[in-house]
Amino acid sequence: MDIDPLPNGTPAAAVAAAAAAAATNAPSSKLSQLTESLKLEHQFMRVPFEHYKKSIRANHRVVEKEVSAVVSAISDTADTTDVSGEDDAVDRLNSLVSRLQGLKRKLEEGSRTEHLQAQRSRARLDHLESADPENLSEWSNTRLKRILVDYMLRMSYYDTAAKLAESTNIQDLVDIDVFLEAKKVIDALQNKEVGPALAWCTENKSRLKKSKSILEFQLRLQEFVELVRADNSMRAIAYARKYLAPWGSTHMKELQHVMATLAFRSTTECATYKVLFELKQWDFLVDQFRQEFCRLYGMTFEPLLNIYLQAGLSALKTPFCTEDGCTKEDPLSQESFRKLAMPLPFSKQHHSKLVCYITKELMDTENPPLVLPNGYVYSTKALEEMAKKNNGKITCPRTNYGCDYSELVKAYIS
Amino acid sequence: MDVNSIRDAFDRVVKKQKLSYSKTQEAIDQFSQEISDSIEKIRSAHNSDSHSDYKTLLADLKTKIKEMAPLTLLEGSQKELNVALSKYPKLLEKSFNPDISKAYRNVDLDTATINYVIASHFYRQGLFDVGDCFVTEAMEPESIASIRSPYVEMYQILEAMKSRNLEPALKWATSNCSKLKANGSDLEVKLHRMQFVEILQRGNRDEALKYARSHLAPFASDHLVEIQKLMGCLLWAGRLEQSPYPDLLSAANWDKLAEELTRQSCSILGQSFESPLGVTIAAGIQALPPLLKFMNVMWGKKQEWQSMKQLPVPVELDDAFQFHSIFVCPVSKEQATDDNPPMLMPCGHVLCKQSIVKMSKNLSKSFKCPYCPTDIDSNLCKPLCF
Repeated sequence: MDIDPLPNGTPAAAVAAAAAAAATNAPSSKLSQLTESLKLEHQFMRVPFEHYKKSIRANHRVVEKEVSAVVSAISDTADTTDVSGEDDAVDRLNSLVSRLQGLKRKLEEGSRTEHLQAQRSRARLDHLESADPENLSEWSNTRLKRILVDYMLRMSYYDTAAKLAESTNIQDLVDIDVFLEAKKVIDALQNKEVGPALAWCTENKSRLKKSKSILEFQLRLQEFVELVRADNSMRAIAYARKYLAPWGSTHMKELQHVMATLAFRSTTECATYKVLFELKQWDFLVDQFRQEFCRLYGMTFEPLLNIYLQAGLSALKTPFCTEDGCTKEDPLSQESFRKLAMPLPFSKQHHSKLVCYITKELMDTENPPLVLPNGYVYSTKALEEMAKKNNGKITCPRTNYGCDYSELVKAYIS
Repeated sequence: MDVNSIRDAFDRVVKKQKLSYSKTQEAIDQFSQEISDSIEKIRSAHNSDSHSDYKTLLADLKTKIKEMAPLTLLEGSQKELNVALSKYPKLLEKSFNPDISKAYRNVDLDTATINYVIASHFYRQGLFDVGDCFVTEAMEPESIASIRSPYVEMYQILEAMKSRNLEPALKWATSNCSKLKANGSDLEVKLHRMQFVEILQRGNRDEALKYARSHLAPFASDHLVEIQKLMGCLLWAGRLEQSPYPDLLSAANWDKLAEELTRQSCSILGQSFESPLGVTIAAGIQALPPLLKFMNVMWGKKQEWQSMKQLPVPVELDDAFQFHSIFVCPVSKEQATDDNPPMLMPCGHVLCKQSIVKMSKNLSKSFKCPYCPTDIDSNLCKPLCF
């Protein structure tokens, strides 16, 4: 005795059947579809590499700095007159040697981190390569989890991100450590401290300059405003001389604008200046930082989830989704999904795709649509089944119209 | 996309990095060796009372270091690495879609709604720990509590089934039997059948018979043949594998049963079988490539994209995502609507109403079907409802 198939009429059976039908598609189209979807994984590959690159660069900078410091220390020792004798000279040189030894240790340490990061990049390549039509459902499950972790990290839900990654063992496939670096800066900005953000700017100076980022300037402006708010005019002016003036050649207008707060002070009612003192300026800075951060790592500004969700909702959105008979399997039958889809465009199709109201199966040449005298259309399979059960009688499930199986006519859909 | 060429490029980066690392170490070693040598010289000069005093030796060291130029050494080792480091991301940009947000419409997706959808997804998938953690971090726990508890029950039943315990499942099926029946599901009898087989396989024929009398008999009217077979099984108590019905013991039956229970349970909860978030994201992954292709070509029309009412390009999803009948008129290529319904012509071919109106010169005369030689009288066309 076999486990008998579900009787027709449950939407569930339909989905399974539809999935089975999809599986019989030409394998080549499945493969090209997979390839297309893998091309969406730029961020997945790029972020760990940028991280790796950053470590390499930072480690190299440390070496350069130390070595040049030792070089100049040698010249100093050679040139100066206050070396008090052989012993002093030896002491001084010895300290330089141990400084170089220390540098070597640091270099080794750095190399270990670099190695780990290289392995992460490799793990991603392996994961990408492991996708094939055979294990697609498992691979897609992991992808969904990766997308969710990305969302958690961007929305600062770090605990959930860590938990989800851990529970499914995908730590190497998500960028938690990269985002923890951002977390420090964001937390500080939310506490109205610019220090870590400025340090981050210095760390990434050359790249920020290349992308013409003005994040540092914006941070400086905010710090200046805070000095004005505290009525610390002298310090504010000194600060402006030191940190704002260098931006004058390119951003004079903003500079003048913010300098005027010295005259208006934080209690001003003048809208142009009042806004500079508003607390939401800090949120704005957080946003600005996030954008620069994403740009630096080659990430999209929006969470991946939002991007895929939008594309998916549009592709699924039809005028029929809001009708009463909408199947539960359609995500757009749910209030929350409808709400998200509201501002999005409807899908577009170039070919008819007809789904039998009764079995929810696709009607095609294998299972052609049959028309009842009242104009309602159902699949041959469903109507044959109905006729078999009821001695050739057909009852339209939507209108209760009754007729005989022999009265049905075939419709040809092209 | 060629994963191998990406791998090669990445290997090159790692190789250069290793090379640069060892060269850097070498340079530092060399550097520190020079200094150590000088230290030695100063010491021995001091002891042997030779003429060269430490000042000259220090000056010598300075010149030597200048000649050695450790910084230039470092730079040299870094140069090749830098080339590899800048080549690789370019290859990535070429092999992948560098910006998948190009087809993103700048509308605010309501975060609270997204969070609700995500929390439901976690619970639907049985990830209660993750779900709870997310709810504490991101939302008001009250808003989601009603979603959580039914799934807790469902997963308890499924867990019990994993350890071959059908009691909770049977209890659930009995209390929901009318709803199951309304769904046209015979899950209840399948569960009883499984329980019967379990008892029988333990070799307990009397108990199995008793169980069949009290639990299978009520289903006799609809499942007579099956029950007869099950009764036949009584002859092979404890050694069903030798009976004509060994497939009753297949482990796959448990998986199928668990799946159907999940299906029915979700259905009774008013939820879909597949996670709607999962379905939407999967659809998005299929839809995005053609959309991005379009945006690459039509980048100039980005503004229009923000306000379009319908996607500018057709997006063909897998059949699994087809939840509604879409009729596209083969003549006008437009999707049918209430005002422009599909019409069945007497020959059996279907066109949209507007196409028929056009071809019949406003219903004034007959026309030839575009698909067969039939002459069509437009009065004999009738609207269809899919």
